[in-house]
Amino acid sequence: MSRWLKKVPLYAVLIVLVALWLLPVASSFLVSFKSSQDFVSQTWADLPTKFFFFQNLSTVLKNYRLQNNLVSSLLYASVGTVVVVLCASMAGFSIVRLRPKFNFFLFLVIYSGTLFPFQMYLIPVYRLFNTLGLYDTRVGMILIYSAICIPFSLFVYRGFYTTIPREIEEAAKLDGCGPVRSFWSVFLPQSLPPTAVVALFQATWIWNDLLFGMVLSRQEQIRPIMVAVATMTGYGGGNIPWIMTAVIFTSLPTILLFVALRKFFIQGMVLNVSS
Amino acid sequence: MFQNVYYSFFDWNGLATPLFTGLKNYVAMFTDRVIARSMINTALWVAFTLVLPATGGLLVAVFVTGVRGAGFFKSVFFIPLTISFVATGVIWAYMFSKELGVLNGLLGMLRIPLKPSWLTAVPLNTFAMIFAWTWQQLGTNMVMFLMGLGTIPRDPIEACLLDGASSWQTFRHVKLPMLRPITTVVITMAMVNSFKVFDIIYVMTRGGPYSSSETLAVSMFRETFTLFHMGYGAAISVVLSLIVIVISAAYIRRMTKRDLLYY
Repeated sequence: MSRWLKKVPLYAVLIVLVALWLLPVASSFLVSFKSSQDFVSQTWADLPTKFFFFQNLSTVLKNYRLQNNLVSSLLYASVGTVVVVLCASMAGFSIVRLRPKFNFFLFLVIYSGTLFPFQMYLIPVYRLFNTLGLYDTRVGMILIYSAICIPFSLFVYRGFYTTIPREIEEAAKLDGCGPVRSFWSVFLPQSLPPTAVVALFQATWIWNDLLFGMVLSRQEQIRPIMVAVATMTGYGGGNIPWIMTAVIFTSLPTILLFVALRKFFIQGMVLNVSS
Repeated sequence: MFQNVYYSFFDWNGLATPLFTGLKNYVAMFTDRVIARSMINTALWVAFTLVLPATGGLLVAVFVTGVRGAGFFKSVFFIPLTISFVATGVIWAYMFSKELGVLNGLLGMLRIPLKPSWLTAVPLNTFAMIFAWTWQQLGTNMVMFLMGLGTIPRDPIEACLLDGASSWQTFRHVKLPMLRPITTVVITMAMVNSFKVFDIIYVMTRGGPYSSSETLAVSMFRETFTLFHMGYGAAISVVLSLIVIVISAAYIRRMTKRDLLYY
């Protein structure tokens, strides 16, 4: 009994925190269900008089044409992730297995990309994109997103390939596999776990990015989705039920991905923080 | 990157030929009131992200282990991780909004005659945004610490408890020292990330009112891409990067040393 009593304050703290963590989620959903009239005339905790989520959604799609940005972001997230997986797995393989001279140095050079703040290379990239004609193009967006994701992905693949026993590679060599062949038919098929981590983590990152989308694109058709959502807000906050609907709608893909593949997601997160 | 350092010595609007001005951008920076405010805010962000998401993550991880319904509590703190900074910003901008916001609504319900303007009053807006950031980030740190706590062997803890140490003493003298590698990682990353915060500030206040809630990352963006003071923006980013590099240098050295040993 006394042990249980001792835990009461602990539970109290946790419950307060849980309430604090759930309140924003709950009230955001509530707001997105309200019509603009309900929102202004009611207090935050009142239930909406009419379920208005889908009307809000169609208004938002019509007024802000978010579908353009959704398509763009989907494209960036999917193509970008494929590029990243291909480049990073090959680079990881060659650094770990082919052991070029200065392999560790090479790794550090590529890896240093994650250490510097984005702000450091924002201006040069912006310049470069302007001179190469990549500014405000879909190809450019895919390129920059892949480039930014590669260092971390390389880190993951490199870590994974060091755990594959050397004998496997030797066996492949004896069977007459060159490095390319042994990468394609021996290493790549085994790389499902790191690929899942990388793909999930980077696709989410690309989907959620704001800064690069804002700096490197201008046209509505090119701008990724989070830029579109961010520009809906302003000092006054805009029409809050609409914005909240857009936020919930555009967050759905990442939330679903997370729920479905939680294990890989957490693994990626741990790696990302500790990398 | 080197190009960026190079640009920082020029007065340049992105179109015309850059004009070499030497250290003028840097000198201007240290006399700019806006940048001074921005530096104070950056310092606040760094200091409080050490207290809130990092220490908070540790406390929550400790609390959650050995409590009934741990799975539920953990998933609650995971929720914000799935959504973007933009979404977090929008949600908390609504929570903090003055007239129709949830927090002021709650205060009204509790009959507390306060109606703070969370996002426009000057240091309050920075603290409000740090709180939103904490809401987003706590889960990550909790996962890290949970992982660390999971690797601690049971034996020394049991030995301690047998010797009559209280649970606080065990935590302070056994668990905490054993968590040190994880703590270093979390603290370094928390600091480095707090220098880079951009999305939340941009969405919640646009750095305003009158640039009062900017951090260096936001100031750099405003100078460069809204005012097109490319050289000045580059100078800000150089200073920002230097600070980040100095902080992470010690950490990187440790990491590479460990890595070389591993080979």
